[in-house]
Amino acid sequence: MAFVFTFILSETVFSQARHSRRDRKAHYSSSENYEVEIIGVGQDGTKIMKVWGYGKRVEDAIIQAKMNAVASVIFRGIPGGHGAAATPAILTDPSAGDTHADYFDDFFASDGKYIRFINLTTDGMPSGQDRLRMSRPSGYKVAIYVQVMYDNLRRQLEADGVARRLDSGF
Amino acid sequence: MVVPSDQYCISNGYKMEFEAMGASQTLPDYQAAMQQDPDLRMVITKMGQIMADRGFPLKDLEMELRSMQQEAAEVAMIASSSSGSAVAESPIDVLKRTAKADIILDLSFEIKRQGPQRYITFNLRGLDAYTSKQVSGAAGSGAPSTAATPELLLEEAVLSYMDGFNAGLQRHFDDMFANGREVSVIVRVWDNWYDGDLETYFEYDGDEKELLEHIDDWFYDNTVQGRFNLSDASSTMMRLEQVRIPTTIIDSRGRERAVDTRSFISDLRRHLKQNLNIDSKIYLRGLGEAWLIVGER
Repeated sequence: MAFVFTFILSETVFSQARHSRRDRKAHYSSSENYEVEIIGVGQDGTKIMKVWGYGKRVEDAIIQAKMNAVASVIFRGIPGGHGAAATPAILTDPSAGDTHADYFDDFFASDGKYIRFINLTTDGMPSGQDRLRMSRPSGYKVAIYVQVMYDNLRRQLEADGVARRLDSGF
Repeated sequence: MVVPSDQYCISNGYKMEFEAMGASQTLPDYQAAMQQDPDLRMVITKMGQIMADRGFPLKDLEMELRSMQQEAAEVAMIASSSSGSAVAESPIDVLKRTAKADIILDLSFEIKRQGPQRYITFNLRGLDAYTSKQVSGAAGSGAPSTAATPELLLEEAVLSYMDGFNAGLQRHFDDMFANGREVSVIVRVWDNWYDGDLETYFEYDGDEKELLEHIDDWFYDNTVQGRFNLSDASSTMMRLEQVRIPTTIIDSRGRERAVDTRSFISDLRRHLKQNLNIDSKIYLRGLGEAWLIVGER
């Protein structure tokens, strides 16, 4: 019994210690790493959320947070909370990101369309609990509050042939 | 079409009570609900606006009720000139028959209090009018608030739940277009058909089989991916459930046409007449169930 417990403990410790600096860097810069929390029911056609981003500088982390806000609405959906129900992903097909890879490369480029769908942010320098300094890799993890124009985004994706309309097929 | 649930109507006093065969029955009074409940009207309008924005405009309950009244007046005139017997139908059956909505949005909500705060409980079910199955749903309660008015809380509830609800509808439509629309069919035999029953042998295409087997083959050939379930069969009756009919079909003139239960079962009737020389009659029970009575028209 003691052997089993020691084995499990050592496995846990080693599995936690296994992440190298490179792993962590890959984790922070992953395009699928969205940390998003809905903070209430938005005005008609919008979603208000708190979203985190990583970056070498605070400014980079803010840009990544904005991309994450739009990407999470498109690909993963937002869990419910603070009186708001869960919002499903706009794209229901899990492989839609790969199918339309070229489209989304352009969409999320530095000057891509994604920024049109961010209406309001707390764009000033985040502080306190919303601005965490990290070491190895050195950089910042910051949270901003954003308003995503959900209905406009859905309409754009439908018009571009990426998302299906509710009435398609009728 | 958004319809307030029976529970909502009855608990808010929008009900009709009457005696039927010695038992008292309570039915929802949609007309009274629409005329006297501003919260309900507000929720229905908001939901209609969101659905129209999604390219899926809803039929309006109030307009359908007016149409029903008109029809009821006409039916009453016809009845008085014939046997005079009344037609027994519940309000929701009459609505389904007149509105022919594919999906009924069954709605209930309640404004509750918790100390000084108010909050909304919201329950919305999307019911397929063809099968009465629930195909989508959204239920829960909103965040309590001291300051917000009930109207604002209701609007918030609708905005909060509709995206999830529509995602459920989208899944249902995707399934319907991929695997066909689900209906039920019952094949029966007229008592006075002297040529046989469903176990009588008929020859078609060089194959001598029971009529029941010919019909079974036809369903296999004409349903989407051969999907149907022969749940019960005897010499006088076949019950076919989960029959997946195509949503559209290309007709003999090359045009794409929508398929409903009647047009689908009409093809079976034509097949029986042309290939087996058997007359039959179609009787529709609701949107999603058809009876084919073989033997004569």
